[in-house]
Amino acid sequence: MATLHVLSHSPFTDSRLSSCLRLLGPADGLLLCGDAVYALQPGSAQCQALDLMPDGIGLFALDEDLGARALTAPARIQVVDYPGFVELSCRFDKVNSWL
Amino acid sequence: MAKSLLIISRQSPWSGPSAREALDIALAGGAFDLPLGLLFLDDGVLQLAPAQQPAAVQQKDLAANLQALPLFGVESLYASARSLQERGLEPRALTLAVEVLDDAALIALIDRYDQVITL
Amino acid sequence: MKHLIVAGRRIELDKDGYLLALADWSAPVAEALAQQEQLTLSDEHWQILHLLRAFYAEFQLSPANRPLIKYVALKLGPEKGNSLHLNLLFKGAPAKLAAKLAGLPKPTNCL
Repeated sequence: MATLHVLSHSPFTDSRLSSCLRLLGPADGLLLCGDAVYALQPGSAQCQALDLMPDGIGLFALDEDLGARALTAPARIQVVDYPGFVELSCRFDKVNSWL
Repeated sequence: MAKSLLIISRQSPWSGPSAREALDIALAGGAFDLPLGLLFLDDGVLQLAPAQQPAAVQQKDLAANLQALPLFGVESLYASARSLQERGLEPRALTLAVEVLDDAALIALIDRYDQVITL
Repeated sequence: MKHLIVAGRRIELDKDGYLLALADWSAPVAEALAQQEQLTLSDEHWQILHLLRAFYAEFQLSPANRPLIKYVALKLGPEKGNSLHLNLLFKGAPAKLAAKLAGLPKPTNCL
């Protein structure tokens, strides 16, 4: 059962992102929102790691949170708005929020 | 059939309320006979370290509470092999009988449950 | 504030009638608490109360009904560790009432 993992903490202050990346199944998805979008900071190791994720894994980032932080998502990341967030939550079998 | 729930507990006992909240979800769910699993990941494995002294910082004894999980019907207990190893914890020395799983087994574990929450 | 007077000592209770301080518990206090519930403690009751105190000493929490039944069955056998026996002894609410009489905090995972 494919899982959508939702992260909202900065990858520079704790290990949620690195742990999550190791636990992604082949059909899982990862949605970055809040400070988790800092993982897309250009030139960061986190951004590189995301870029190298296998194609089967859906990578998403919330548009509003990117905009607020003046970040632009690389091509590998699909940018979604809030309705897109809801649609994703329904598309996957379950959602795992990393609180 | 009730949906199965995997609780991932990934904070140390001393970092705030997260470890206790994860345990409370497990105990409440167990008391209602929900099919539950509890996984200790990242700093969460520190909850299983031996000989901790919560009284030294006026806290309740989380390790003692964890021992009650099987009586509450929560018998599916897991820990990340990597998290244990990173922190120098020996699986044999842990205060709770957990199944130690590598990353591939953890992916399969998360896949198997109907619902997952990470605290 | 609710309280009991037992052998001339004032024993403080919370709003639900549970002891505020675990250390205040004694056999006469248990008898007084039971009297408030219109209950007379038999050997059967005492056996469960002592077991509950052992549970608390081991796990530092008050059990809900299911774990209480499981624990009693484990320690005293299934003739005692079943919901019928415990319900009869403790007026249909064994986890809550027995915890109260044993001087433990109210079980939190018990609706």
